[in-house]
Amino acid sequence: MTAESEAIRVQYPWLARLAVVGIGIMAVGCLVAPDRLWPNLLLGAYYVLTLALGGAVFVALTDVSGAGWHVAFRRVPEALARLLPLASLLLAIVLLLGMGRYGWPHDGDHVPGTFRFKELWLTPTFWAARTVGYLVFWMWLARSITARSAAQDQPGSTAETAANVRLSALFLAIYAVTFSLASIDWIMALEPLWFSTMWGVYHFAGMFQSTLAVVILLALAWRQDHGPLAGIFRDDHLHDLGRLLLGFSCFWMYIWFCQYMLIWYSNLPEETSYFITRTHGPWGPVVIASVVLNWLLPFFLLLPKPAKRSAGAMARIAVLVLIGRWVDLYVMIFPATLTATDAQGVVHALPPTFGIWEAATLLGLATATAFCLSRTFLARPPVPRSDPFLREPSLAPCNSGSLP
Amino acid sequence: MNDRILLATFAHEDDLLAATAAVRAAGHPIVDVFTPYAVHGLDRAMGLRPSRLTWVCFVCGMVGAVGMLVFQHWTAAISWPLNVGGKPWNSLPAHVPVAFEAAVLLAGFGSVFALLWVSRLFPGRQARLVAPRVTDDRFVLAVDASGPGIDRATLERVVGQFDSLAIEEQTPRTGGKASC
Repeated sequence: MTAESEAIRVQYPWLARLAVVGIGIMAVGCLVAPDRLWPNLLLGAYYVLTLALGGAVFVALTDVSGAGWHVAFRRVPEALARLLPLASLLLAIVLLLGMGRYGWPHDGDHVPGTFRFKELWLTPTFWAARTVGYLVFWMWLARSITARSAAQDQPGSTAETAANVRLSALFLAIYAVTFSLASIDWIMALEPLWFSTMWGVYHFAGMFQSTLAVVILLALAWRQDHGPLAGIFRDDHLHDLGRLLLGFSCFWMYIWFCQYMLIWYSNLPEETSYFITRTHGPWGPVVIASVVLNWLLPFFLLLPKPAKRSAGAMARIAVLVLIGRWVDLYVMIFPATLTATDAQGVVHALPPTFGIWEAATLLGLATATAFCLSRTFLARPPVPRSDPFLREPSLAPCNSGSLP
Repeated sequence: MNDRILLATFAHEDDLLAATAAVRAAGHPIVDVFTPYAVHGLDRAMGLRPSRLTWVCFVCGMVGAVGMLVFQHWTAAISWPLNVGGKPWNSLPAHVPVAFEAAVLLAGFGSVFALLWVSRLFPGRQARLVAPRVTDDRFVLAVDASGPGIDRATLERVVGQFDSLAIEEQTPRTGGKASC
């Protein structure tokens, strides 16, 4: 281990200690306030899973498009992708614990006839089998892709590179369908009578935007203080990631608004229920906060070129986007899961809350994820040194700041 | 303006980039650089100031968005209030798509027409090529040699190490601006 890696390793103890504290409080919460903790667990597990999946999608997208610009820091999204087994396990446990909390008619409730297909689709056994299917498929292909990338480090052959292009294409094609269905099964099904055909792409937008923010943060963290990416992750890479973050912030807003506007315009009772709960009353400011954090601030802050090349500015914007992603998922999950029934038997969403359980889950999962990511990243060489695309253009001094 | 211009020709963009940086570091004024395609980093090597086109784009986009929001509000809520499905007169969500499209349209057109205007590009404009092969496979660095302290030999010393193919002297045929 070189002195550079020491700087990273010393971060381990405090990350691990914070994670233990957070997870400890979560464990207490499971016993004391399970109804309050479960939405937090679902949010956290889904957040971490989509980051890991986003890493795999980033690698697969760049593989199939023959991109070379990202190769120097490709091990960062790969580290995310290699977190998939752990994230899948966490989400599977959370879903298993909360199967009874989904609103499907498991008690023989009467549902209106138009929702007959949904009733069949959300049969608990079928739902659980699909969940296992999605997770196993993603883990298998993400593992194949990252393992070939590691095998490629032995110089001499480009066979792994070519194989990864085919694997990535397969992964992306099936991912597009399975992730749409997964977002419906795990999040939309919390309110089983409500539906939106924009849901899958809305979740893809949030997933990719937050993945880009995490890649930016991690690459910057591993660049500073002579870290493993010092001199490798350049301002040009940061600039390109900044452009992508700007683009996907706009994409998220575009999709968010498409979903909102179509439901607002047609004004059908079975579709508006979702937005009436969220945009009217105490949840309104939270919805506005998610729009401000995910689009308004990143859009205006990322427009100037100097901001996209500044480590400090980009790290702050990435943190804004990650908070925005949490708020976005919070707005989706909490009004559907934290509810109260009034005297007339009508179910109402409780107003937004942020207390010890939310804070503890955030702390525990964020630090545990950072801890696992550091270990995963440092377990392999930080740069795919034998990748045929590495020399040009990812490490070449073109477009660089080294010229006067 | 320049009565003497020295043209250094290169076959590779890396040589051109390094030579441009070296000429600039030596303090010789660069008239322009001619390349068959956009060379990354050339703007920085030449010391060009950041493009102002981004501001044109931003202002045009903002004018499009705000202008369209105001216009739709005026037509739908003030001048001739329309009842569409019982929605309020000033229904902001319904006005956003048109405002967005107008922002994109004006930002795009504004940038393109501002570029054409600044570059004096219009139909029928005669191309004045510094060398015919700059549209194909040659890179030409044009250095202003009218001032003191620079002649052919000086320039040769600066760019010679970067595999320059030729250094020629050219007197502009017209008195107009040589840059574009």
